[in-house]
Amino acid sequence: MYRIIFRTLVAPRSSSVNVYDSCVLAAKCDKTVFRVTNECGVKTFSTSSSSLCEKKNNQDQKTQAVKEGGQAEVVELREEPAVLKADDGGAAEQQTAVKTEQVASNQAAKTKNDAAKSGKESLLDLLGAMKVEVTNKRKLKNLKAKQSYESVTQYTPKAAPMESTISMYQKATGEASSQSETLDPDLVAAASAAASTLPNRSQAESELLRQLRQREAITEAQKKGDINNLGVIIADMKVGKNPNRQNAWPADQIRFDDDGRGYTHYRGITSELSGVRKRRNLLLGKRLNIFTPTADEDGIEPAAAKPTLWDIDFANQLSLSTNQMPRNGFEEMIQWTEEGKLWQYPINNEAGLEEEAKVPFHEHIFLEKHLEEGFPREGPVRHFMELVVTGLSRNPYLTVQQKKEHISWFRDYFHQKEEVLKEADVYLE
Amino acid sequence: MAAPGRHIGHSMQRNGRFLLYNLEQLLGHRGFGWTSALRQQAAEANKESTESVIIPRKKTWSKEAVLEALASTVSRDHTAYPYQFQDDPYLSPRTSTEFKLFSLSQESGRSAAKFIINNNPKLFTKDFAEPHIPCLMPETVSLRLEEVSEEALKERITLRKVTAAVDMYDQLLQAGTTVSMETTHSLLDLICLYSDRDPVQDGEPQTDDAEFGAELKKRKARVRRASDFLKFTWKENNNAERIFNLLPERDTRCYSALIRGMVKHGAYAKAFSMYTDMLNNRLTADVHIFNALISAAPDVRDKFNERWDLIAELLNQMNQQKVRPNLLTFNSVLKSLRRCGFLAKTQALHTLNEMKALGIAPSLASYDHILAVFYKSAASAQNNTDILQEVIAELEGRIFTCQDPDDVLFFSSAMRIVSPALEPRLSLMAAFDSPRSVCLDSKDLELGYKIQSLVDVGENWRLLGDSFQQSIYYGRFFNLLCMMEHIDVVLKWYKQIIPSLYYPNPQGMRDLLQALDTDSRLDLLPSIWKDIKTLGHDNKPDLVEELLGLMAREKHSPEVQESFAACALDVKSVFDLRPSIEWSAASLSHITTLLLRANKTRQAWEMLQLFKSRNRVPSEGLLNNFLSVCHSDGDPQKAVELVQLSAAFCLPTTWRLAKRALAEFDLTEEQRAILSELETAGEPSD
Repeated sequence: MYRIIFRTLVAPRSSSVNVYDSCVLAAKCDKTVFRVTNECGVKTFSTSSSSLCEKKNNQDQKTQAVKEGGQAEVVELREEPAVLKADDGGAAEQQTAVKTEQVASNQAAKTKNDAAKSGKESLLDLLGAMKVEVTNKRKLKNLKAKQSYESVTQYTPKAAPMESTISMYQKATGEASSQSETLDPDLVAAASAAASTLPNRSQAESELLRQLRQREAITEAQKKGDINNLGVIIADMKVGKNPNRQNAWPADQIRFDDDGRGYTHYRGITSELSGVRKRRNLLLGKRLNIFTPTADEDGIEPAAAKPTLWDIDFANQLSLSTNQMPRNGFEEMIQWTEEGKLWQYPINNEAGLEEEAKVPFHEHIFLEKHLEEGFPREGPVRHFMELVVTGLSRNPYLTVQQKKEHISWFRDYFHQKEEVLKEADVYLE
Repeated sequence: MAAPGRHIGHSMQRNGRFLLYNLEQLLGHRGFGWTSALRQQAAEANKESTESVIIPRKKTWSKEAVLEALASTVSRDHTAYPYQFQDDPYLSPRTSTEFKLFSLSQESGRSAAKFIINNNPKLFTKDFAEPHIPCLMPETVSLRLEEVSEEALKERITLRKVTAAVDMYDQLLQAGTTVSMETTHSLLDLICLYSDRDPVQDGEPQTDDAEFGAELKKRKARVRRASDFLKFTWKENNNAERIFNLLPERDTRCYSALIRGMVKHGAYAKAFSMYTDMLNNRLTADVHIFNALISAAPDVRDKFNERWDLIAELLNQMNQQKVRPNLLTFNSVLKSLRRCGFLAKTQALHTLNEMKALGIAPSLASYDHILAVFYKSAASAQNNTDILQEVIAELEGRIFTCQDPDDVLFFSSAMRIVSPALEPRLSLMAAFDSPRSVCLDSKDLELGYKIQSLVDVGENWRLLGDSFQQSIYYGRFFNLLCMMEHIDVVLKWYKQIIPSLYYPNPQGMRDLLQALDTDSRLDLLPSIWKDIKTLGHDNKPDLVEELLGLMAREKHSPEVQESFAACALDVKSVFDLRPSIEWSAASLSHITTLLLRANKTRQAWEMLQLFKSRNRVPSEGLLNNFLSVCHSDGDPQKAVELVQLSAAFCLPTTWRLAKRALAEFDLTEEQRAILSELETAGEPSD
């Protein structure tokens, strides 16, 4: 599987972010933990996104490595998969075994240093670094890029809950970061190289390998250690996740401030400030303080009363003011259904026979009991009536009441003619 | 590996068969997103049993559910006319007047049929439908009970016969019968609602011939609209007050009916004195009384702060009398605040927050009033769209139902705030809100799109209101697009909303022409002309002149010129069809120029004749152009005729044309003679 991914992705160097992301997910799939998290874990959600970050940074490091290595990009990129192949194996090991002794001494120091920092600070650092990384990428590449990237790497687990922010930032600066994204396939290829065999060039390979391992170790350590910080950060980030705000304006620039508002969009200082002031006025301002919002159950009582003429008039006004025209045939059918002009769906051929449905079927069919009184027990009249009852029991078009009326008509009739019948000696009691 | 468990969970979820043999595993797997159904089942299921099948509960559907699901799959076809006209392709409305005419005639046809059925119930006794369909059968509209009784009174009230009900009540009183309190309440309601006048009813027995029912109804509707404002005022000592005074005991309902009626029909001061009277009788008011009084408050006080004080006092009294306010209470507060000048802005926001604090969700009308308060005057320093932004951000993605008749005003007024210019046609509507200075900001465009997307959510489009409101809304939206958006996007929207939702007025088309001009896509003009013709704006000389002017302004590539010439000929045929319309000289010369550019000399010559028949004078530049074309055609005879024509128009520049013709053309002696005569005749003497 990885070979396939590897091949397909190495060929189109400049694939898009989306491809990159999905590939990262795919690459992660062999690690059971991540498979679970990526697909359904809310709890472990943060971890998956942190892995995304890691990959990204990892890839940036590589970019840097490539640049350092000069123009021999192709050769270098060939190497990296192999480098990461070994590394990936190692990483997987670490994740399953949780702790390994791979933490280099300098990294341990950094971890301590990091732990000293407050969660929020590190967050700011991280995002500052990331931003710099994208916008001033070229410049920094030649400068102290490596240092800053390492710090980014260390803080990634904390950045995890900020996934939305990051994705937004990616969108906003998509163009700027396209350069880094051109290397996505390489990264994925590297991750998948565990299964492939490629020649290694020792120097660059071992360097990258070591860095990756260190990062993995630190990631694990911080995942264990900084859960409290993580909680704080998540709590802070809730403000920033307001969907209205997020979609409201294209993010030109992102600012992180310390007073808990998350990020704000710049639209020029003045408009921003006035906007903030008005927002507070409108949404959180004072109220009249006349009513007390306590009694909630009392308000229901008038609804029970019969609607007055005023209510009917008001409802009529409402329906007149809105546009009630159907837009398509189905909506027209809905209108007809509400008016009662249409068969109701799902189709039921007993619709409208609610009254009749209450009558059990045997009332329709076993009508002999109605012959018990008022008719002779035997003889031609009885015979005739039995035929009538048989006919009625097969007639689906009459109600039971009608059938009874029909029978009682004959009862009256034969009573009236009783004399005649007796004379003819056909009416037997 | 937990993955198989998850997959099973998925399939179980989908099939609704909850085989719980893997339950332990699933429970252990915390990342799994439980569906509520599964959780419910799991709670009651015995976890030990491995082979239990749980049958899901039967689900009952409402009778519209199937149709609603189907309707949600149909998206709007923007190439089609509105659905109500699809029965008859001949009656597809192409202009807004046709739209109005057709929809009104459809409605009036329905009402006429209903009228006849209701008034001749004897002719419609057969009930074919099985099961019975009540709405197809005639309704009782005439009185049946003739004797003097409370039943008869009730019947008169339900049929809304105001005068008959009052008569019956009087007769009952004279007979010494006491009428129950409930009936008295509804009688007072009836009289107050219609201000002691018989309402105009669809089913009212007519003295006129029934054949004219539809026409009559239309006329009546017009009368009714006017009378709503003018005639239906509250009269001193009308029957409602008389009956009210005759009542042995009066409760809150009686006061409520009277106060509401008085406010509805403009007797505001009287309503307040009635309220004081009620308080003196130690009664407490109901929420309707307060709503009515609050909406009347601006009419009984002159100063802004006095108005607000009155409203606040009423609200305080509400609280003291333990009356819970409702949405309409606050909407009437906000509506009254629109007339409270400088106090409005702060108090409106406080009111909105009070609503939220009480857990009453504001309706679109509340926001409409807030917008009106904040965007009332252009003079105010705050001329930006922040409040609107806040409001839209709050409303985004929500589905609304109509809770207040003013709800339907929200969208068009929100669009007014973002649209840069007010259309002249609508200036009457917007006369009370003075136009805000044109502020070209891309924010406005974004807001416009947001408002539009809010309209698209759910059934919100119904809250655009009637077709008039809707055309205002789309007119403003289209105007905004034309001003701010790239022409391709404008044309995309143009195709989407015209003519299926909106028939643009001449101003809208002019905006579109300007947008085309700005982005130099003048080659699209011929197709726009076709639309103008379809929309029935080809009889607007100004618009046509502007179109022709844009086409004739510059030279274009030959193909474009060719299409322009065809378009110009089309315009000319419209000229011929409508001889009554006065076409300007500019339009005529634009057409001629266009024809000349496409080398249609013959038609251009005909156009020149048209100048004469229309009493218009061609310009010198046009004739010069014509002469150049004659030259390039090598047609000296035409040139001579042209100069003669110019002489016939008594143009002062005829001699110059003649001179030019003499110099440039290869003429016969005869022609030369004619021209030189014209030249010397026209030449200035000095």
